[in-house]
Amino acid sequence: MIVAKRKPFEEIKEMIKDYKKVLNVGCGTCVAVCLAGGEKEVAVLNAEIDMARKLDNNPVELGAQTVERQCDHEYLEELDDIVGDYDAIISMACGVGIQFLAERFPDIPVYPGVDTTGMSANQAVGWYEERCRSCGQCVLGMTAAICPVTMCAKGLYNGPCGGTNQGSCEIAMDQDCAWFRIYERLERQGRLKEIIEYTPPVEWNDQVPRTLIQPGYKKPEKAKES
Amino acid sequence: MNIDLITCSEVKSVEGKPGNFEVSLVNQPRYIDQVKCTGCGECARHCPVTAVNQYNMKLDDRRATYIEYAQAVPLAFAIDTDSCIGCGLCENMCVAKAIEYDDKERETSIKVGSVILSAGSKGYDPSGLDFLGYEYPNVVTSEEFERILSASGPYFGHLMRPLDREEPKSIAWLQCVGSRDTNRCGNGYCSSVCCMYAVKEAMIAKEHAHGELDCAVFNMDMRTFGKDYEKYYLRAKDKDGVRFVKARLHTITEVPETGDLVIQYADETGMMKQETFNMAVLSVGLQIQPDTAQLAERLGIELDKYNFADTDTFAPVATSRPGVYICGVLQGPKDIPGSITEASAAACLAGAELAEARGTDIPKVEVTEEIDVTGQDPRIGVFVCNCGINIGGVVDVPAVREYAGTLPNVVYTDENLFTCSQDTQDLIKEKIVEHKLNRVVVASCSPKTHEAMFMETLEACGINKYLFEMANIRNQDSWIHSKQPEIATKKAKDLVRMSVARAAALRTLHEKVVPINKQALVIGGGVAGMNAALSLGNQGFNTVLVEKEAELGGFSRKLHHTIEGDDIQAYLKTLTDEVTGHDKIDVLTEAKITGFEGFKGNFATEVMLGSKAEKRRIEHGVFIVATGAGEYQPKEYLYGEDGRVMTQIELSDILEKKGADGLDSVVMIQCVGSRNDENVECSRICCQNAVKNALDIKKRNPDAQVYVLYRDIRTYGLLEDYYTEARKQGVIFIRFDKDAAPDVKSSSEGMLVTVKDHILQQNLEIRADLVTLSAGVVAEDTEELSGVMKLNRNPEGYFIEAHVKLRPVDMPSDGVFLCGTAHGPKLVTEAISQAQAAASRAVTFLAKDAIKLSAITAKVDTDHCVKCLTCVRECPFGVPVFNTNEKLIEINEAICHGCGVCTSVCPRQTIQLSFYEDDQIISKIDALLEAEGM
Repeated sequence: MIVAKRKPFEEIKEMIKDYKKVLNVGCGTCVAVCLAGGEKEVAVLNAEIDMARKLDNNPVELGAQTVERQCDHEYLEELDDIVGDYDAIISMACGVGIQFLAERFPDIPVYPGVDTTGMSANQAVGWYEERCRSCGQCVLGMTAAICPVTMCAKGLYNGPCGGTNQGSCEIAMDQDCAWFRIYERLERQGRLKEIIEYTPPVEWNDQVPRTLIQPGYKKPEKAKES
Repeated sequence: MNIDLITCSEVKSVEGKPGNFEVSLVNQPRYIDQVKCTGCGECARHCPVTAVNQYNMKLDDRRATYIEYAQAVPLAFAIDTDSCIGCGLCENMCVAKAIEYDDKERETSIKVGSVILSAGSKGYDPSGLDFLGYEYPNVVTSEEFERILSASGPYFGHLMRPLDREEPKSIAWLQCVGSRDTNRCGNGYCSSVCCMYAVKEAMIAKEHAHGELDCAVFNMDMRTFGKDYEKYYLRAKDKDGVRFVKARLHTITEVPETGDLVIQYADETGMMKQETFNMAVLSVGLQIQPDTAQLAERLGIELDKYNFADTDTFAPVATSRPGVYICGVLQGPKDIPGSITEASAAACLAGAELAEARGTDIPKVEVTEEIDVTGQDPRIGVFVCNCGINIGGVVDVPAVREYAGTLPNVVYTDENLFTCSQDTQDLIKEKIVEHKLNRVVVASCSPKTHEAMFMETLEACGINKYLFEMANIRNQDSWIHSKQPEIATKKAKDLVRMSVARAAALRTLHEKVVPINKQALVIGGGVAGMNAALSLGNQGFNTVLVEKEAELGGFSRKLHHTIEGDDIQAYLKTLTDEVTGHDKIDVLTEAKITGFEGFKGNFATEVMLGSKAEKRRIEHGVFIVATGAGEYQPKEYLYGEDGRVMTQIELSDILEKKGADGLDSVVMIQCVGSRNDENVECSRICCQNAVKNALDIKKRNPDAQVYVLYRDIRTYGLLEDYYTEARKQGVIFIRFDKDAAPDVKSSSEGMLVTVKDHILQQNLEIRADLVTLSAGVVAEDTEELSGVMKLNRNPEGYFIEAHVKLRPVDMPSDGVFLCGTAHGPKLVTEAISQAQAAASRAVTFLAKDAIKLSAITAKVDTDHCVKCLTCVRECPFGVPVFNTNEKLIEINEAICHGCGVCTSVCPRQTIQLSFYEDDQIISKIDALLEAEGM
C-alpha cells in the first residue's frame, strides 16, 4: 500500500495563504487507510485552516470532497462541476493522485496536503514499514525475499559494507543490516551458496518515468491526450 | 426482578428442611421509607446533628440522617436514632414525605428452599495489643488507610496523616496483625489478603504522593500467591521501589514532638533494629465477629476453632446443615475473586436443590405490541424533573419547560417533582397516548440511574424504547453550578435543546431475539470439569463432557491425599461414578476438539473421537473450559540425572507405596519452576505440598529429618495451621534468596545440598537421602484449542477471565466460562468451588429460553468499505472479520459489544453504531452551537 503523512500545518498554510476559496480533496483508498488523507483527515485539516485563518483576520472559504481514488479518471469526474468555483485545490492523495488531479484541472493551482513516503506494509493500525522502492529490477529471488534496495542504507546489491554491526546497520542500532538478514535467511533455507552470485549494479542513469502496461492490455489513445 | 432485597434485618431462626425452610426475621426500623425515598439527600443537608462516620472508619463525621456511601443499595436514607435529637427538620424538608419517626421493629418470616450464609468478617481490632501503638494518631489500620486513599474518604483521597493532616514522606506497613499469631491474639490462620492489599496500598500511596514517598512493608513472608499477584509484587519491589523487609515487630513508639513513629524490630538474623516513619499502617487480618458466630449457632451450623464454617474438603460451600450453604470469608479467609467464586458456587448448590421449581416465583411481564412510527414526523414530549429541590432549587425548571415548548418537534412539555416516581411513570404513559408522542425526552439525572426504567415506560405504551433520550441537568448541571442558578438554567436549556435535537434523529431499533440451546459443553474431565458437568446435570441441563485422555480424572489421578488427610482417589472414584452414571451427562473420552463456530446460546463444536476416528458435532448454548494443568518437569538440581532427586508428586507416590522407613534425611527445595525468570508467577500450591509431605514423613518416621528450603512460605488461610504443626514436629525451614539458590551435588553417601542459612548467615551443607523439588504448576498445552475456539490465554498459558476480581469464572465472550487449574494454579477444594461457580454462571444463561441481543451494534456499509482491516485490528473483542468467501468485512451483531471502537477508527467512516449514528451525535453538537451568540 502507498503510505503518506500529513504535511506540517504551517507549510500548508503558507502555500494557500493568498487564496480565498480553497477546495480540499481527499482520496478514499491508500491514504485514507493509512490515516493521512481520507474524509476524516480532510475535515480535520479544514477545521485547522479555518481557525488559523480566522485568527489571522484572513478568512477563507473551504470546500471538502473525498473521492474514491484520485489516480482514476472516473473518480475525478465528480469534481468537474465543483472545482470551477475555487481559487486553489489541496490534494491529500499520494504524489500520483496529486499530479493526476492537477492534470485534469490544469487552470487551477493544486497543492499537496501530504508527503508521500513510499510503499509499505501495515504492521498494525498506524504503523507502516517500507518494503519496496519500486526500482523496477527485482532481485528478491536472489536475496531470500529481503530487499537490499529498500533495507540497505546504501542499496548494495552484493553483500554488506564495512558498517554491518552484529546484525544492525551502522546508521542505527535498531536498523537491521539487510545483508545480515539475507545471509541468515539463505542459510536457514540451505541456499547460502546463492549469495556468491554476482548481481550487476542497477542502471540508475536509465531511470525515467515508467509506464506499466500489463500483458494483454494496450495504452488507450484517448487517455494520453487529456 | 427476581431478587428481593431485605435490608436492616437479622435472621432469628431457620426452621424446616431443605426445600422448605421458614426463616424468621427481625426487621429493624430505618425511619425513612425506602420506597418513597428518592435519595435526594435533602434530609441529610438539613440535619443539624454530627455523628461519627463508621463507613470512613471514624476518621470523619456524617449527619444523623444518612446514607452509608454513594453507591449503597437501596439508595435510600436512614435515621441513626442513636445520634438523632428528634428535631423534626428532616420531616419538614422531605418533599417525598418518606420520614417515618414512628417506624418500629417488626418480625416477619419468609419461606425459602435453600439458605446461603455470607455473613463475612471484619478487620481485626488491634486496640488490645499495646505494643502496636494503635493509640497514636499516626498509627492506622489498613482499613482506615484504605479510606484515607479513597476519593470518597475523609481526606478526599489526599494522602495525609491524621495527626496534623500533613503528607507523610515515609510509611511503614506491619503485616500479620491479628493473623499468624497464636501467641498474642490466638489467630493461627493467615488472612490471605493482607500481603496483597499492603502492596496495593503502598503503590497507590506512591501515586497520590507529591514527592518521594518511602514505603516499607515489614513481613515474615510475602504471600502474593494469586493469579498475576507475583507480577504485581515484583513491580512494586523492582520498579516502584517499595521496600520489603523481613522482620518480626517488637514495638511501635511515638516521637512525641513530631508524631513520627519508631519501629523496633528483629531482622532476619535476629538482630534488633529500629527505623522511624511518619506514619504506620497495621495490616489487620480478617476476623469473624462474635455476632456472626452466634448467628451460625442459631442456624445450627458448625464452626471451627477460629469461627470459620466447618466445611468438607470436597464440598467447600456446603455447611454441616443440609440445605444451608456458605460463601465468602465466613467459609475461610479469602480475597474478592475467591469470595465471588464461592458465591456463585453456593448459588449453584442452592439452586440445584430447587431446580424443579425454577422460575415459578418470577412475576410475568406483559408485553405491549409496538406501534410503528416510521414515516411519522417526530412528536416529542419533554418531561423536566425538579428532583425534589435537587434541580428545582437551582435551575428555573418552569423556564426550562417553557423553553422546551419552543423547540422544533416538541408537542408536549411537563415538569415533575420526581420524574422517576411511579405516579409520574403513569402520567408519562397517559401523555404519550393523549398527545400521540412518538419520542420522549426526560431532563433529569444521569442515564445510569433511571434510563432503563424510562425505556420500560415507553415500551409499556407500545413506543420503541430507543426513541428515548435523557438530558442530565442534575449531575452535570444543578449540582456543579449550584452557586450560579442563572448559568445553570441556561445550561439546562442547552442540554434540553441538544436532547430534543437528538430525539428527532432517533430511529426505531429492534433487539434480535435468539433462542438458547439448552445443552452445555464442558471441556476437560478432571476434578473441575467433572464437578462443572455434575452441577449442570443436577440443575437439569444436558451436558457433554469432553476429555482428551481415555480416562476421567486429569491430574488428580496422580494425587493421594489432601493436606487435611482426605483421600483424593476415593473421592475421584465416587465423582467419576456419579458423572458417568448421570442421565443428563454424556461423557466423551479420547476426544479432540477440531472445529468450532457460533455465538452465545448457539455454539457448535466438532469433536474427533480418537479410538473410533469418528467426528461428532455438538450443539450447545454455553461451554465451560476446564483443561487443567500439570506438574513442571524440572531441569534444575540434577533432576532426571540422579534418581534421588524427585518432585513432590513422586515423593508422595513413594510415601504411599513404600512409606518413609529408612529415610534419614530429606531436603525439599521450593519454587522450582516458579517465581523465576522463565515463570515469574507463584504456583500457589507447592508450599502446602511440601508441608503436607513433610508432615507425612514425620508421621511415618518421626526420626527422619526434613529440611524445607524456601523463599516465602505461602501456606495461606487455614493452611497456616499445618505449617505451624510442621515446625512443631521439628521440620526445619531455611529461607534462601532468589539470587543465592541452593546447590545440589551427588555423592556416594547421599545428596549434598548447600544453602546459606538466613539466621547464621553461613553456608550449610546438608546430607540427604532424597532431594524433593517443589515443582510448580504448568498449564496444559491448549495452543490448538485456544486457536480453534478463539479463547485468550495469558503468557503462562492460563485462560483469561472477563474480570480478575468481579467476573472470575466468566470468560470475555458471553456464554463461555472457566474453572479449575486452566484458570491458574489451585487446590482441589478451590477447583471444586470454582467448577460449581462456573456451572452456576452457565445456568443463569441456560435457564432462559431466549436472549435478546443488544440493538446497539455496529454495522458496515459494505459498498463503501475498502477492507483495510483497521476495524479487525482495533476491535477489543475480535468481532469484525474478513469473510473470505464473500470477500467482505463482517460484524456479527450477536457478538458485537456495541463499544463503538470500530466506528470511530474506520478510515472510510463506513461503520455506524446504531443509537449512536453520526447524525444522532452531530445533531446534538449542532444544536449546542445554535445557542445565542455562537
